[in-house]
Amino acid sequence: MTSKTSFPTGLPRLGAQIAPILIVCAIVFALPLVLNNDFLLNKVARYLVLGILTVSLALSWGFGGILNLGQAMSFGIGSYAMAMALKLKTIPVHTGSGGLPDFMVWNNVARLPWFWQPFKSLSFALAAGIIVPALVAAALGWFIFRSRVTGVYVSIITLATMVVLNLVIIDQQSFTGGFNGITDLAQLEIFGFAFDAYGRATFYLVASCVALSLLVAFAFTRTKAGLVVQAIRDHEGRVRYFGYDVAAYQIFVFALSAAIAGLAGMLYTIVMEFASPTFLGVQLSLSVVVWCAVGGRQSLVGAFLGAVLVAGMQGALSESAAFLETWTLVMGALFVLVVLFLPKGLAGLTKSAWRWIVRRRLASQGIARGVGQTREGSA
Amino acid sequence: MTTHLDLRDISVSFNGFKALNGLNLSVRKGELRCLIGPNGAGKTTALDIICGKVKPSTGAVTFDGTALQDLEEHEIARAGVGRKFQVPSVFRDLTVAENLEVARARRPGVWANLRWDVRRAGRADIERLAELIGLTEHLERPAAYLSHGQTQWLEIGMLVAQDVELILMDEPTAGMTAQETRKTAELFERLRGKHTLIVVEHDMGFVKAIGDIISVMHMGQLLAEGTAAEVEAHPEVRRAYLGSGGITNA
Amino acid sequence: MDQFFEQIITGLSIGSILLLVALGLSIIYGSMGIINLAHGEFVMLGAYTAWLFQTYFGLGLLASLVPIFIAVAVIGWIIERLVLSLLHNRPLDTILATWGVGIMLQQGIRLMFGSELRYVQMPPSLSDSVDVFGLSVSSYRMFLFIVAIALFAATWFLMNRTTIGMKLRAIMQDRSVAASFGINSRRVYGLTFGYGAGLAGLAGALVSPLKSVSPDMGTGYVIDAFMVVVLGGVQSLGGTVASAFILGELSGGIAFLQNDTVAKALVLIAIVVLIRFRPEGLFTTRVRA
Repeated sequence: MTSKTSFPTGLPRLGAQIAPILIVCAIVFALPLVLNNDFLLNKVARYLVLGILTVSLALSWGFGGILNLGQAMSFGIGSYAMAMALKLKTIPVHTGSGGLPDFMVWNNVARLPWFWQPFKSLSFALAAGIIVPALVAAALGWFIFRSRVTGVYVSIITLATMVVLNLVIIDQQSFTGGFNGITDLAQLEIFGFAFDAYGRATFYLVASCVALSLLVAFAFTRTKAGLVVQAIRDHEGRVRYFGYDVAAYQIFVFALSAAIAGLAGMLYTIVMEFASPTFLGVQLSLSVVVWCAVGGRQSLVGAFLGAVLVAGMQGALSESAAFLETWTLVMGALFVLVVLFLPKGLAGLTKSAWRWIVRRRLASQGIARGVGQTREGSA
Repeated sequence: MTTHLDLRDISVSFNGFKALNGLNLSVRKGELRCLIGPNGAGKTTALDIICGKVKPSTGAVTFDGTALQDLEEHEIARAGVGRKFQVPSVFRDLTVAENLEVARARRPGVWANLRWDVRRAGRADIERLAELIGLTEHLERPAAYLSHGQTQWLEIGMLVAQDVELILMDEPTAGMTAQETRKTAELFERLRGKHTLIVVEHDMGFVKAIGDIISVMHMGQLLAEGTAAEVEAHPEVRRAYLGSGGITNA
Repeated sequence: MDQFFEQIITGLSIGSILLLVALGLSIIYGSMGIINLAHGEFVMLGAYTAWLFQTYFGLGLLASLVPIFIAVAVIGWIIERLVLSLLHNRPLDTILATWGVGIMLQQGIRLMFGSELRYVQMPPSLSDSVDVFGLSVSSYRMFLFIVAIALFAATWFLMNRTTIGMKLRAIMQDRSVAASFGINSRRVYGLTFGYGAGLAGLAGALVSPLKSVSPDMGTGYVIDAFMVVVLGGVQSLGGTVASAFILGELSGGIAFLQNDTVAKALVLIAIVVLIRFRPEGLFTTRVRA
């Protein structure tokens, strides 16, 4: 036995797996040096936030095998939590007596509803933006996974739940701002430090959260719990007979994924300066699935880059409305093609290409032994 | 020795077909019990009942004083029952090492497995196991790339890693070459004594090589029990196998 | 009391629309294991075809039903051939592929006909109302109810009493065994998907006089229809009917007391809770795992 398969840590290829994440994070942090335009920086920040959202889906779908078609629901809850807190901080011009939000005044609401009260505290809102989506997901997950509902049913129920929540938000206009969402927000201020949507501080905040989410998701996939989750994806029934409570693991990864999506939602409110029902709409949820599939669902970095690149491309083309409509058509076609012929997405393609190059090089040196059979890292 | 596992009056039916019809079976601690019988006798269903895959409509399963029939699969596994399936069931996208790691399930809770040091601790165990099942060279390969025999051994290795009292094996040598079967028999010799084993098997040569006591099932019931010679001489067993060329060719 | 019966009839009417939409979905899922997320778009295509026939050929709705069925069925058949037949061993991916196809259909229609709402005329012969137990009920809604039941009966007959239905059930049991008996599963799958799509198209055409027609009209229908299938349990046509009408009555009732959105939310919660206790759906029996 060569030293190739015995690793002192017992965890093979940590370096190879974490390197892409570190490189991507470094590039993200370096972007403001290249982009000297606040408007552009804000735009890029939006795509980065969508990247975080897509990483959260890769975690539950690519690693956990749970295709959540309502991933944008957690995102939307996060974004509303942030918007509610920032709304209550707006200067009195936009509000009624006692800091009552303007849309409530227009809808003849006399007092701030009870579920708005705690959002007067920013720290509560910051915590809620992450914890509430996780709790909602855990509750929904309890019903779904304890019932051993699998595969497509999970997708349908998550999708339906999101659609219904979306309808409820639009319907309860006097408490949620309805169709228009929550607009005219104050700036986020933490420790006297203001986060202007177009400022560098906000960009670095987003960049830090990109790094944080990628690393947390990665760390999870490296734990034994993360391994069990992947085993469940491969063969759910088998895992039970080793004594693992499958539903508990599924609920956990589902909730973790929702928490990350909630964080992304909060950031999105900061960079967009409003919250809207479209943030938990079918359109966005669908786009996330497409980005994740194109980038590579079993690769955290792949999913992240898939979102940033495809959403960025869409943004660049959106100057012309006619082009945007054709773009949606093209994206649909691209998605179908990826599903049919490239199930592991661009990350899978890159990996195969890399392996091919390595094998060629080794073959020319006459030592092609073993390479290409061992599995590459899944970071 | 006292009774370790006890099945009492187990019945179960699928769409009116009685797969088990009042089955009684007891196994002592440390025993290697072979379960044989013609096709459709209910052997696999009996294993399914023990490990909780199928719930009996009547009857009780007791294991070390614990009633298993009302527990969920993972609770039964935690009580000390492991299962190898007829179709080799491993995690194809995970490497051999990862498969063995998943099988080492001493602390199956989510929170206990979120710690970083959990996986590091088991590495030596896994390498030892890989040697036992002859897969040292393949530790870092995805299980999907293993041959059929290697996959069977991997699953057996996973059961050893799981380290349970009672191991249920459904046709562990199915699809193996003669040489592979011999190697499997050796593997079983090493498990004997440390675990209680129930093995469903068609290959009578293999059964004779490994078995202490053989239980013969027919039509969802226990037909006979005893050593290989006793069972082969049993008139009812001969009748049950009539037309299929006798017990040796079943 | 009158109000109560009125509610019952509203519920029946909602139920028949649900059944019309869910029937095709249930056939496709039950027999092919494909969650067809493009189903809503087939509904939309049916509605647009009705609008096209009316606007460009002056054809009434009733006269165009058969051509609509054929047109949408052919589209469905083509999609099955081109896309889904490549995914027979990857069931979870069919959900993605059909979703992608759905976007393309929706966007294609938007590019061709624009996003504005279109309207389809109710057949004049059905625009009055009839007397049922002393209540005046819209003839068109009665007609929908009858068509829904008739289509269900036809589908049941097709599945259980014809050769093609028998072949389909054989494939459902075991594809390779069926193939060894000379059943061409590719052909049967294509026809089944086409039939399901055609049913969706019919549903779209039939609801078009009641609702406005737009490229994104399908999304709402497909989710409601999935709820019907989830509640009814797959592979149970009878379950589909029962759950369509249960959901219809429930939505109708709650919507009367509260509003549409509250009805949708409560029905969803009820279904999620129910699944916890009967994961296999309300109307399926236990089979060997």
